[in-house]
Order: sequence, then C-alpha cells, then structure tokens
Amino acid sequence: MQRFTELVVAAVLLAGLYATMAYGLGLIYGVLRVVNLNHGGIIMAGAYIGWLLHEKFGIDPYLSIPVVVAVSFVLGIAIYRGLVRHLPRGPAGAVQSLLLLFGVWLVLRNAAYLLFTGNDQTIRTEYSTRSLAAFGLAVSVNRVAVFGIAVLTLVVLHLFLTRTFTGKAIRAVAQNADSCTLVGVDVERIYSLTFGIGTALAGLAGLLGASLFSFNPSYGSGDLLKSFVIVVLGGLGSVMGTAVAALILALVEVFAILALPAYLTGAVGFVLLVLVLVLRPGGLFGQRVLG
Amino acid sequence: MNAAMLEVRDLSLAYGDVQVLFGVSLRVDEGEIVTLLGSNGAGKTTTLRAISGLRPPRGGEVLFSGQSLLAVPASKRAEMGIALVPEGRELWPLLTVRENLELGAYTRSARARSAANLEKVFRLFPRLRERHAQMAGSLSGGEQQMCAIGRALMSEPRLLMLDEPSLGLAPILVDQVFDIVRTLHQQGITILLVEQNLQKALEVARRGYVIETGSVKLSGTSADLLADPAIRSAYLGL
Repeated sequence: MQRFTELVVAAVLLAGLYATMAYGLGLIYGVLRVVNLNHGGIIMAGAYIGWLLHEKFGIDPYLSIPVVVAVSFVLGIAIYRGLVRHLPRGPAGAVQSLLLLFGVWLVLRNAAYLLFTGNDQTIRTEYSTRSLAAFGLAVSVNRVAVFGIAVLTLVVLHLFLTRTFTGKAIRAVAQNADSCTLVGVDVERIYSLTFGIGTALAGLAGLLGASLFSFNPSYGSGDLLKSFVIVVLGGLGSVMGTAVAALILALVEVFAILALPAYLTGAVGFVLLVLVLVLRPGGLFGQRVLG
Repeated sequence: MNAAMLEVRDLSLAYGDVQVLFGVSLRVDEGEIVTLLGSNGAGKTTTLRAISGLRPPRGGEVLFSGQSLLAVPASKRAEMGIALVPEGRELWPLLTVRENLELGAYTRSARARSAANLEKVFRLFPRLRERHAQMAGSLSGGEQQMCAIGRALMSEPRLLMLDEPSLGLAPILVDQVFDIVRTLHQQGITILLVEQNLQKALEVARRGYVIETGSVKLSGTSADLLADPAIRSAYLGL
C-alpha cells in the first residue's frame, strides 16, 4: 500500500510537467495546424539556458524561469516570423512545416553538441536531494516545486485564454480564422503570439525537467513524443483534458516500472498512443478545439 | 444624388488558375439597401469576400467613402465601418454566444462601447439574451444567423454586407431575417444584401445587380428588375 501511494504521488507530480510541455504542442497545433517538431529542441534549449545561468552566474534554476520563458517566447516568435509564416497554409504546408521544424530541431541539437558536448549534465542545487516528509511519505522538494509551478502556469494560461480579449481571440482563431479577420483581429499577430506562447511552454518544461533529470543535447525527443501522446489523448487546447491525459500517461509510465524491465518503460507511451488511436481516435474527450 | 459609400470598379479575381470574377462593377450609396443577385457560383460571395479583404482581387478597384481599400489589410476594414455576415454564419462554435458577440467588438473604437452595443443586440434578438451562455455551435440555424448578424453589429458598421442570410432557414424565419434587415436599415445602416431569394430581396432593396458567371449582367431599381421578362423567366420561373 505504501509503495502504491508513493507511485501515485510520483505520477501526479510528474503529470504537472507533462501537462505543461504537452499544452505548448497542443496550443500551436490547435491554432496554427502546425505540428511543432521543434518542440523537443526548445525543451532541450530551455534546459541548457537554465544550466548555463546556474553554472556561470549561480542563478537558481527557479529564479531563471522568467529568463527562460522570455527567451523561448522570443525564439518562438522569431521562428514563426522568419520561417513558419512563409510556408503555404493548410494541408499544402503540412509536410513542409514538418520538415522545416524538424530541420530547426536538428540545427539546435547540433549547435548544442558543439557548444556543450554530448555529456550528460545536471543542475545541482543545495536542495536537489532534499525531501519533504508528509503522511509518512518522503517527496523530493524539487518535484513538489516543479509540480506547483506547472499547475500555476496552466491555471494562468487557462485564465488568459478564457478571460482576456486576446485569449478569446486565440481560441476564436483556432475555430474560424476568417471570422476573426472580419471583426478586426490581426490573425497573423495571433499566430505569432500563439507560436511564442507554445514555444515558451516548451522552454519552461525543459527548465523544469532539467531540475529533475540529467540531460544532453538529445534531451527533449522523448518529451516530444510524450507530448504527442498527451495531445492525442486529451484533445486540443482544453487545460482539463491535457491535465487528465498527462496524469494517465504519468500513471501508466510510473506503474509500468512494477511490471516491465527498465529499458521497456520508455515504450509504454507509444503503446498507449497506438491503443488510443485504434480505440478512440478522437481522443478521450473528442476533438474539441480550444473550447 | 447621395455620396457613394461603396464603389466597386471592374473587379476581377481568381482562385489559383480559375478566374471567378470578370470585371464586376457596382455601387452602394449611403443609406441604401442594395441587393446582389444571381445563381449559385455566379460570384456573389467572392465579390463580398473581396470587398471585406478576405480574398485579394487580381484587378479593379474597391472604394469605401472614396478611399481605396486595396492597400488596407482585411483586419483593418472592420474599424473603417465595414462588416460582413458570411454565408453559413461562420460563428466560433465552441465559444459562447456572449463571447461571439463580444469578440465582434474587437476593434478599439467598438470595444469602448461594447457593453451598450451588447444590450442593443440583446434587445434586437431576445433569443440571444436567453442563450447567451450557450455554445454558439449548439444554437439552431435561425439563432446562429441572429448571432452572426449580432456579431457584425457589435463592430458598429456603416456598411453591413449580408451573404445569403436566409439560406437554409424555415420560411417563417426567412421573413424574420428580412424584417431585421429593414429594421437595421431604418437605424441608418447601409446594406449590401446577397441573396438567391430574388423575390424577397427585391421587395426589401431599392436597387439590385444581377451577377452571372462573374460579371454584372443587369442592374436597376427593384421595380425594373422585377418587371424584367428575362429575370422573370430565369429566376422566378414566371
């Protein structure tokens, strides 16, 4: 029972991080119909920016959140304005955008190999190994902090999308872009902003992940695939759907440790993806686009 | 003679290699209801989309209050006072009725008076007030049409373009839609109405244009058009 509770708590804490990174991917796809294959690249970049700030300037990874979020936001807007925007819209541009963003990822990854070598890095702080004791369970401080920040981020994002004019415009563009133009929304600006927000979420997820796990320039590829699983499972743009899907993936992964050898647990997500695509291709909650 | 609010001169437009408009010219004077008639695929919707900026024309000129629109981005045209109620409503189905209406007042000038205009729309369409918290996608066809018209009104248009507002509605609702068009006109809004329901459209409009395969074939006052033998046989089956 103790073991069971521990695993559930571990899964819940992990789900926060998963939801944050998946939401970024889902938001961009929901609004722009572009699969951001560079998602993993930005996750990796977020990890390294946090690591650099910590190594060179001694900045605590949690304090560097604003920097990482701002840098990845600007990077996202630059990638959109410089590259993605020039591709044809709709199905005609789908293949090009996949190739293009995969290319950007390769460039980022190889730049990271050049700059930082392929060695595994970690962000080690004085509280890295500390844990909290509650209800007879020991929980890592870092994991609790990551969970708290992830939940806060998702709540803020949800409020932004449902309560502000710009947020509503983002949801409206996802549902019908021409109607947005007709009422005076600069749809290109919304695309650019959305790409920035989605990318910023990836950067944040990378930084948060880096405070829990070791990473190298290939970091982020597994997370991209996990994000896919969550987006397919949870539908596009619904914060609740994303959170539930993230929790399901985290639970399945964590409990797989009990039944499977360690080298197979990474494959659990894909099995889940295939199962969902076969059994419920519309996702668990149907394809509600940013409703 | 009134000043021309909208003037379209020799407008041509193509979707890829397929040319759809071959020199459409029309004008709508301030305070008029003008109707643009024609059968399916004649180019009525495309003309409206070009005026609202959703489709760039290949040639010709569009003037609004004497100012050329061709250099004005589509998203800036709402602010100038141009609104389009698109064919098929084109609401945001997963936003509430209220959110749909509020986003209609997206431009800076309209946003300032959004609350008052929302009240006006609710008074014009009491059904929308009842359903304000419902997803727009869950409304009936008639209610969706009201919501689409309401959304356009939220931007305080001077020129309201309606693209087949009666399409797919029950006869009683069709009458309602035309009543609303009259009401809005009485409130001082200039209207360009695209319709396949020729009889009804010519009853409400002062003048009309008949468009066929991408160019204007006939134009005149509603009475003239209704009396035209060619129209009577081709469109009214008389």
